[in-house]
Amino acid sequence: MPLPARFSRVFTGLFHAVLTLLLIASLSGLQAQDVDQALYDAGEKVFKGNCASCHKPDANMTGPALKGARERWDGKGDIYAWIRNSQEYLKTGNEYANKLFEEWNKSVMTPMALSDEEIDAVLYYADNYAPPAPKGGGDVAQAPTGPTDAGSLWPWMLVLILLFVVVALSLTGVKKSLANAVQEAEGREPLPDRTFVQSVQEWAWNNKGLATVIGLAVTVWVVLALWNFAWTIGVYGGDEVAHYRPEQPIAFNHTLHAGSAGDGNLAINCQYCHSGAEKSKHAGIPSANVCMNCHQAVNQGRTEAGTADIQKIYAAVGWDPETMKYTGEPEPIRWVKVHNLPDHVYFPHDAHVAVAKLECQECHGPIDKEMTVAEQWAPLTMGWCIECHGDKAVKLAGTDNGYYEEMHRRLIENEKLGHRELKKWLEDEKVTVKELGGWECAKCHY
Amino acid sequence: MTLHTRSLPALSALVILAACGGDPNSPGIEYMPDMYRSPAVEAYVDYGQDPYYFEDSAVVAQRNTQSARLPVAGTVPFSQDPAKAALNFPYPYPNTPEGYEQAGAELRAPLPMTEANVEQGKVIYEKFCVHCHGPKGEGDGSVVKNGGYPVPPSYTKADPPGLKSLPEGKIFHSLTYGKNVAMGSHASQLTKEERWLVTRYVQFLQNGGNMPGALPAETADTVATDQDTAAN
Repeated sequence: MPLPARFSRVFTGLFHAVLTLLLIASLSGLQAQDVDQALYDAGEKVFKGNCASCHKPDANMTGPALKGARERWDGKGDIYAWIRNSQEYLKTGNEYANKLFEEWNKSVMTPMALSDEEIDAVLYYADNYAPPAPKGGGDVAQAPTGPTDAGSLWPWMLVLILLFVVVALSLTGVKKSLANAVQEAEGREPLPDRTFVQSVQEWAWNNKGLATVIGLAVTVWVVLALWNFAWTIGVYGGDEVAHYRPEQPIAFNHTLHAGSAGDGNLAINCQYCHSGAEKSKHAGIPSANVCMNCHQAVNQGRTEAGTADIQKIYAAVGWDPETMKYTGEPEPIRWVKVHNLPDHVYFPHDAHVAVAKLECQECHGPIDKEMTVAEQWAPLTMGWCIECHGDKAVKLAGTDNGYYEEMHRRLIENEKLGHRELKKWLEDEKVTVKELGGWECAKCHY
Repeated sequence: MTLHTRSLPALSALVILAACGGDPNSPGIEYMPDMYRSPAVEAYVDYGQDPYYFEDSAVVAQRNTQSARLPVAGTVPFSQDPAKAALNFPYPYPNTPEGYEQAGAELRAPLPMTEANVEQGKVIYEKFCVHCHGPKGEGDGSVVKNGGYPVPPSYTKADPPGLKSLPEGKIFHSLTYGKNVAMGSHASQLTKEERWLVTRYVQFLQNGGNMPGALPAETADTVATDQDTAAN
């Protein structure tokens, strides 16, 4: 016998011996202390390829947790036959198998063409399952970004100014009592007790020119400050003000769910949840059944706070994670609306998403990259709308939109005929929203 | 004490400015709050805000009015387009293992297997399916890779649990009701027509990303079976 073949025989023998030992160990209820990494990995591979759609190693999902399955089956039937073809095995009338089938809502398990070794490996993997360390990304405790950082300097400046005023005032007081002491020592009347305002008035009277200049400067500064402040009233986004970023009942992390896969995030398309964006005026806050499309299977967050928030979804839809059934007692989630437009102005999402083919981020900012808390990024003022309508080129061709296709056709065909208006539009080599009527009042105020 | 009275304006100015400085929970000052928040229930009205001028009872009533509603019981979306007549009918198969098998055996797509339909299906697939099922339907999407989500069976593998030979009726049924615990119902996000378009794209992926050259017998006579389904 050639050497390699002998080796392989020895190895197979050893493998089977180890397997038998492990089997005996698990059958007698003993946990193997040292995990056989090769067998574990082999089991993981088979598990991920065949079982992971419906089973978890350590928790119930569509089917029961595989951990301890062999123990549960011990003496009650043939687990190998059951795994290979459950429907066939049910016909043998095995009591435990039929009980399981009833318990799990009669869901039929796909027949699996697995060898005994593969089944052993899977069960070994499940019994020794150690959850992997969580991957990066989705850091909830990120510092908020944006103009709030610059704004936080203000209070400190004011404290400094206040401190200066207090020191100046007390120094004036000290100076005055010293002067009075001198007056008293020289036997003269103490200085008249003037208030701060009176002394300022006296100083201004004596320095009229300088006082006028300072007074004017202060007035201009105050008027300008008020004017600028007035522009920010009712504006919750943009570069001028701190973004409106209300605390939500569930701290949904947009970065974790929609961020790029390269950073360890889930990269779910925005429209998976906001599926109204293409069809309706509203992009829509997803109803909780959309959350449950995934969270039926995902009940653990990456952080403890995340896990707690997932429980809030369960409370909202009335889902009992223990029995994996709906209780029929839902309680709506009271989301706080972030983007508010005044009444009498209308913004249709469908026209901007489906027709104009804008990216969500053009108005909502880097919500998938930086915003762990949803915030209003754009100012949503009329000036902001108008500016974009006046500047943005309409993507006329290739939008599958009959209206624009027709516009495009006329532009192409009529230019030769000297259609003046159309030619004027094309002077800057683009057709803007404004040129198609995007500045008409009734476009937005209807 | 004179010092206190003198510093009062400065102190109050400090308090006011600090208050305006940026509480992220506050939407700030509004010129005309009643124009921002009308008493009529609007979609996604913010329950957290005071509507200012209304009586307490009205405030409570508004806060407890849900703007997201279910469609009226017994109604179905209706299209006047005769080509889409089959889509108007309610879905006849129940959400049971038997219904799943029955749909697989009987249900046929009302949309033909054309390049245009596959192309439209692809757009929908890449928004609604790709993050779990992966770009080629091999079950390697970002949610599976980065989120440790249960691995969906591959569309391109024939051996169980591979879904290469899954019939269109079962694909549509799974989209409508969901499948197992890992896949939820997508009926609230996708219309029937969109679900059929996705089904066509999934079939395209089952075929290894090629247009099925010779269509399977049951899809060739789509129109006839379609009318049968409608008549049922």
